[in-house]
Amino acid sequence: MSWDLPQADVDENTSQRIAARARMDLGRGRPRRRLVLPIAAAVLVAGYMVWAIAKLVEILR
Amino acid sequence: MVRSLSVDERAWVDGLRRGDAAAFDGAFAAYRRRVYGYLVRMTRNKDTAEDLLQETFLRLAQSAKKLAPDTRLAPYLFTIAHRLVVSWARAQQVRAQLAGEFVEPVDHRSPLEAVADSQTQLALERAFAALAPAYREVALLVGVEGMQPSEVAAILGQTPEAVRQRLARARGQLAESLGAHYPGDER
Repeated sequence: MSWDLPQADVDENTSQRIAARARMDLGRGRPRRRLVLPIAAAVLVAGYMVWAIAKLVEILR
Repeated sequence: MVRSLSVDERAWVDGLRRGDAAAFDGAFAAYRRRVYGYLVRMTRNKDTAEDLLQETFLRLAQSAKKLAPDTRLAPYLFTIAHRLVVSWARAQQVRAQLAGEFVEPVDHRSPLEAVADSQTQLALERAFAALAPAYREVALLVGVEGMQPSEVAAILGQTPEAVRQRLARARGQLAESLGAHYPGDER
């Protein structure tokens, strides 16, 4: 099976912009700011769980 | 079947591992159209496809130094692109649920219809656009990109048998939609 679909490509300006942006990050690893939101969410959830368990223990005593 | 790396691909992977911008440019020039074609047909939106194309190559650049020496770039890039499409589709679903009855009607046309240079290409583009995303994806990766079902299975995180089943259904639906335009089975 081989399908001859129309050719798709981004325009030259977009292509250069994407390449230039990606080259800036070449070999730098994943940016740490991507971790901030998941860590903040995990801390909030963990804090709420601790509070909820403490309340439950308090009620059961 | 495991394909070996081409000379260019090996050089690009070696260069990327060293942080060489020329190697990145070579890989970008070689794979940009293929990845964009996949993205624009999966999202049916040129702007979204451009954003996801940028994110795909950003992730390649960011993880360049961690690439294994025998990394095959096409499966690597399509794996990233597939994951981005899955995330985008989930976000679209959430948006549609939040919008409730005010959700905009889905446009099933491909933005690439305008660049078809024959009636057969136009019919094919429309037939691909009408496929369900899971079938369209497999048909694109096997039928357009020329990948083996086992490679596609690794990209999608599916079994090769599941990919073959989807492919058979996609072929059936394409044959039905295309009628006289159906190019036949060449593989």
